[in-house]
Amino acid sequence: MKTLKIFFSSLFLITLISLSYWMVVPFLKSSDKKLDDVNAAYNLNSSEIVSNFTKNKTNSDSLYVGKIIEITGFVKKVNFINERKTVILYTKNNKHGIICDTNIDQLEKLKSLKKNQKITVKGTCKGFLMDVILLNCYIDLNPNE
Amino acid sequence: MNKIVSLLLFFTIFSTFTKNDKQYIARQGQVTFFSYTSVENIEAQNNQVLSIIDIENKEIAVSMLMRAFVFKKDLMYEHFNESYIESDLYPQANFKGEIIGFSPKTPTQDTVIKGTLTIHGVSKKVSIKTNITYSNNSYTLTGEFVALVNDFNIKIPAILTSNIAKTINLKFKFQYQPHEN
Repeated sequence: MKTLKIFFSSLFLITLISLSYWMVVPFLKSSDKKLDDVNAAYNLNSSEIVSNFTKNKTNSDSLYVGKIIEITGFVKKVNFINERKTVILYTKNNKHGIICDTNIDQLEKLKSLKKNQKITVKGTCKGFLMDVILLNCYIDLNPNE
Repeated sequence: MNKIVSLLLFFTIFSTFTKNDKQYIARQGQVTFFSYTSVENIEAQNNQVLSIIDIENKEIAVSMLMRAFVFKKDLMYEHFNESYIESDLYPQANFKGEIIGFSPKTPTQDTVIKGTLTIHGVSKKVSIKTNITYSNNSYTLTGEFVALVNDFNIKIPAILTSNIAKTINLKFKFQYQPHEN
């Protein structure tokens, strides 16, 4: 009888801990994720993706928004507006670019970038206004292209 | 259908700004919103807000992607985009208005922007107090205002009403450079 009581008490305790973990963890999970080892859904160059968005925004939204994508292009500038760490890539269309808001751990790489340097950025695509917007970006200084 | 409406609205807003040397652009404007309740404080920031001002016509247009708001926690982001703002249906928020009494060469001025704010597919006339500074051929606009959740037909599930404030505080900061491209 005593063994049964211990068994059910333990079962109750384990269930309670598991439920608490399941309910609390999503509230604690940070939105700031590292993307170094995450596979990209698409791999394009900067002009290609801008061209896709300008030709068919609805279709490109459904293809790219919310996905992790890799974009290869040439550095236009690096800036720290509003204390963000941002790199902007050129595209063939002067009016548009790629805005990459980088993860905090990319700061040293970001500081080392030179204008016109060829890089690949991997980040979560948020869509297109006048530029393609990528957040939480990881920088690859040695693009394979 | 709503996506097409958003798209048309976006192009309507920015197409009236025919490019000239009187235009200034901010591609990395900042909009922050705060919701304070006794249960939970929620804050999110969008640092890729697009805005153009025309200093001759004293016009301003703003457009932002709702999915570009960054929250501290994943769950807040999910609730915001899926349950409240419905970002798949209404991916952007837009504003178009007039800067009242704008004096382009004044180093610093407090003024009011009057215009139409569209969030969640609902448009509403608003007046926003703004500070504008002018230095080295660039403008900085800052300000804050309060928006009512009910005004934009945003429905909060009954179970979460105590977590989300009925009034949302919005802060903005745009740094404009001459629109060269």
